[in-house]
Amino acid sequence: MRFGPLLAAALIVVGLAGCATRPPASDPEALAEFEANNDPLEPWNRGMYAVNDVVDTVLLRPAAVAYRTLVPPPVRDGVRNALGNLRAPTILMNDLLQGEMDRAGRTGARFLINSTLGLGGLVDVAEWQFGIAGHGEDFGQTLAVWGVGEGPFLFLPLLGPSNPRDLLGFGVDAVASPWFWFGQGEIVEILRLVRAGMTVLDTREGVLDVLDQVNATSLDPYSTLRSAYRQRRAAEIRHTGPVAPEAAGGTGFGVGLGVPVPAPGSVAPPQPQR
Amino acid sequence: MQMTRRALSGLALTLPGFSPSALAQVDATRAMAFIQTTGNAMVEALNSTTLNLTQRRDEVATILRQAVDMEGTGRFILGRWWRVASPAERQEYLRLFEETLVRNLAGRFGEFQGVRFALGRSQRRTEDDVLVTTIVERPGAAAFNLDWRVAEINGQPRIVDLVAEGTSLRLTQRSEYSSVVQRGGNQVSALLAAMRGQLQQMQARQ
Repeated sequence: MRFGPLLAAALIVVGLAGCATRPPASDPEALAEFEANNDPLEPWNRGMYAVNDVVDTVLLRPAAVAYRTLVPPPVRDGVRNALGNLRAPTILMNDLLQGEMDRAGRTGARFLINSTLGLGGLVDVAEWQFGIAGHGEDFGQTLAVWGVGEGPFLFLPLLGPSNPRDLLGFGVDAVASPWFWFGQGEIVEILRLVRAGMTVLDTREGVLDVLDQVNATSLDPYSTLRSAYRQRRAAEIRHTGPVAPEAAGGTGFGVGLGVPVPAPGSVAPPQPQR
Repeated sequence: MQMTRRALSGLALTLPGFSPSALAQVDATRAMAFIQTTGNAMVEALNSTTLNLTQRRDEVATILRQAVDMEGTGRFILGRWWRVASPAERQEYLRLFEETLVRNLAGRFGEFQGVRFALGRSQRRTEDDVLVTTIVERPGAAAFNLDWRVAEINGQPRIVDLVAEGTSLRLTQRSEYSSVVQRGGNQVSALLAAMRGQLQQMQARQ
């Protein structure tokens, strides 16, 4: 979280230079679209998208492909389960802050069952044996439930699509997590780094097919992702439509974009051509 | 889903390129029956043991061409640029739109072997269409929600949008196409050129 203030400062400085021109009132259709897109920082966001694209092409995507190829599915499932279980206290906090007692009860029960019988979260015994399904939740959604607007769309390198509300939620979730406070020393630091690294790897692997699909079929992947992210977040906040996996954080690509993907095992589409 | 409906119809209103003139009220039961029939036909084609992948795709493409309101959906997606486009551009746009949509969806669905689908419980009405919810199951993959927006076009129920896991295909695609037009100097021809290129790539791949 040390890069938080730095990021904010960079946002303000570069953001001012990267404002999109607001269409004049004489063109109501263009103005309506400009407002519906909610992307006044578009030039800056597109710059960040390009930066992210480079990092993704040379680093993240190949890492995710290697992870999928080299690590067998049961192990990857275990990793995703464990990451989800580590997020359980965060999900529980947000369930409670939203007044969702039923969901909070399920999250709490899952954490207790999976941390013990589930071998520290590696096996989702709660769903498998007790039928208690998990769900994702984050402070960005809690803020939305409290009536906080999303603010202008943001695209951030590494984090992906976001907005000030979800970005703040991301920071609050990180700091409010017990794992941020408990333990110290070299081993704990290493464990934190491992968790962060595995989260990035797991998330990228989870959207491998969807992003390949978008890059192969969209004439402008940036605006496709912007539209899909905002629609998906709106559905998540209403608790309708997709149930976000527990391992998914609020900001970024999540673990799905609402685009049907080919069955697993099918050949990945060719790399983006633009 | 109260909110989506409002959000979507609100969006349609703020973008006047969408004209609901051809739409009439569609009966919810009729819309469901239509999706059931169309879905069954698609599942049958996808799970056919006698057809190969290309034949399955062709079959799905034929079903889509009949079931989707190509002109209305194409116009909705082009949005405010429809009126800017010349008659020739409109004609070419609709041709390219139908071809890419069919190839895209048939390509995606073509891989869904062993697929099963079930009509969901909730059918949501809006002013001029019905959202029919279905749950799509494939072996070895998580089930997902696929909602079909059905409107009555010239007395027949037709698909006007697909909503996968809460994300509307036509809204996403309108955002994409409008972006291409704007970045091409507010010229519809820029979009047509991009669509032609895309179609060529798709044809080369399939």
